[in-house]
Amino acid sequence: MIFWEIFKMAGQALKANRLRSLLTLLGVIIGVTSVITIISALDGLGQSIESELEFLGPSTFIATKMGIIMSDDDFFEALKRKPLKYEYVEAIEEGCDECVKVAASSTAYGEVKYRNRKLRDVPIRGSEASILDIIDAELDQGRFYTPDEDLSRRRVAFIGTTVRDELYPGVDPIGKSIKIAGVKYDIIGIAKKKGASFGEDPDKIVYIPYHTFVKQFGHPRGRLAIFIKASSVENVPVAMDQVRVILRAHRHVPYDKDDDFGMVTADAVMAALNDITRFLRLGLVGVSSIALIVGGIIIMNIMMVSVTERTREIGIRKSIGARQKDILIQFMYEALILSLGGGFIGIGIGVFLGKILIGLMNFNMTPSMSAILLGIIISSGVGLFFGIYPAMKAARLQPVKALSYE
Amino acid sequence: MALIETRDIWKTYEMGTVQVHALRGVSIEINRGDYIAIMGPSGSGKSTLMNLIGCLDTPSQGEYYFNGNRVSEMEEDELAKIRNKEIGFVFQTFNLMPRATAFHNVELPLIYKGTSRDDRKEKTERALKAVDLIDRMTHRPNELSGGQRQRVAVARALVNEPSLILADEPTGNLDTKTGQEIMQLFSRLHSEGNTIIIVTHERDVATYADRILFIRDGRIEKDEVVSEQEKVANGTKL
Repeated sequence: MIFWEIFKMAGQALKANRLRSLLTLLGVIIGVTSVITIISALDGLGQSIESELEFLGPSTFIATKMGIIMSDDDFFEALKRKPLKYEYVEAIEEGCDECVKVAASSTAYGEVKYRNRKLRDVPIRGSEASILDIIDAELDQGRFYTPDEDLSRRRVAFIGTTVRDELYPGVDPIGKSIKIAGVKYDIIGIAKKKGASFGEDPDKIVYIPYHTFVKQFGHPRGRLAIFIKASSVENVPVAMDQVRVILRAHRHVPYDKDDDFGMVTADAVMAALNDITRFLRLGLVGVSSIALIVGGIIIMNIMMVSVTERTREIGIRKSIGARQKDILIQFMYEALILSLGGGFIGIGIGVFLGKILIGLMNFNMTPSMSAILLGIIISSGVGLFFGIYPAMKAARLQPVKALSYE
Repeated sequence: MALIETRDIWKTYEMGTVQVHALRGVSIEINRGDYIAIMGPSGSGKSTLMNLIGCLDTPSQGEYYFNGNRVSEMEEDELAKIRNKEIGFVFQTFNLMPRATAFHNVELPLIYKGTSRDDRKEKTERALKAVDLIDRMTHRPNELSGGQRQRVAVARALVNEPSLILADEPTGNLDTKTGQEIMQLFSRLHSEGNTIIIVTHERDVATYADRILFIRDGRIEKDEVVSEQEKVANGTKL
């Protein structure tokens, strides 16, 4: 009851100095806005990358020539490696007990065309038929190609929804032809729509049989990737070890040398990305926190001025019976209203700006609850931290001295 | 039991290395229903005495009992409680909240007491009626005359039904006529049973009271009862 009344008094005191209160608010708004914008943009980025990697699934890994490379030196070293060979697929199928599916895959980029409509820079993925069980491409319409169609190098294509929408508006594409990099294919199926994420459109894709791909585009050499699905999530490390042993044997890697190939899992990619972005995160959040601290100092400064200006008022309040606690709470309320008010406005602007930023990069993103919560915690923390000293100064004023203050 | 009893109270200020004694052993006794004036030249210590009596400050030495409670040993928040419930202040400069309405100014002590909203409204209006300002309750101090402001301050002093009304030069910022009106208001409040202490340096004002304590150099110099004749002569008899 009494605290609510004191809260109202605090609000009135702030209202009486409207311009000053607004300017004080501005400091916190800028601080919180910058922190929230950056955090929600980074969160969105992380989410997008994660969803992008989800297609790999938790029990899947990929063997490639390059693997995950974190430095220029490693990159140039890795360039010298021999490419993976298609024979390894068979070797893995035979030698790896814990691998249930293995598929060779490679990607080229080219133009796809139907009559006068065309789409450029479409990823054309040449994969073995088992790829459908390894990645999370789902069938929407028609069918996927069979291992026989792959081995006999049939010109059949399985397309994503973006290709369908762009090339076959209002037409059922199944059974129609499609020109892929100048060669005519028959469409046999359509993948389920995944939706855009991380600036890429996963539905803008064409799958063709691996051997057909090799016939048209040549051997992938360095771009050959072997997709492997382990028997279970727990068995991924065992499966990876088995594959490693097989690959090392086939590539004649001496026992004292490192692997001359890479193994990629979704987790490993995520970990590598987090590694890269960690310093970016820390740096950006650190820099934007400076604005927040400045905002807090502005609050403290204004509260100090306010306490001095209102010394007499404090004296009057004390003379009619305000306890130290009552005065302390009133000034804390004032600091908290300023900092939390600024915090809420800053969260609003920050989430909005974060969305725009993310929108510019064409990510899919939900406003991060953690960023909002963090904004509230940070701004109330700023209010409490920078408000407590002036409020204590006010509460401890001696009534006689405060009353005679001119 | 006396409402106010001081036993040899001293107030000493340290001014650098020099000790300044504002009060040098004051012993007074004031009973419920008394109407007292404290008179003295400036620098005599009368403001210091008023601050001590009003529980705004504590003595450096000596004992002060208010209503039987030993105030001289109390903590700041206990003093605040006494000021809130037992003492109503009226100041020379009114000391109203400039941005608050007359109603809110009068209501403020009740808020700090923790009185419920409905009770506050009733008591605030009663206090404003007592000073004849009920029709001005939505006005802010700058919309009121000096006399009206001082009446708002009196209403604020009355609102918690205190044991003591303590007025420090209540007419100091008012013209003679308005000052007389305020003093007549105090006389009326006294006749209704309130205990009143007025601090003043004007004899004319002091004669409204029944008894005058003269203070000089931090000591009570004279304790004088105001005669009926003088009251009549000064027109200060109710």
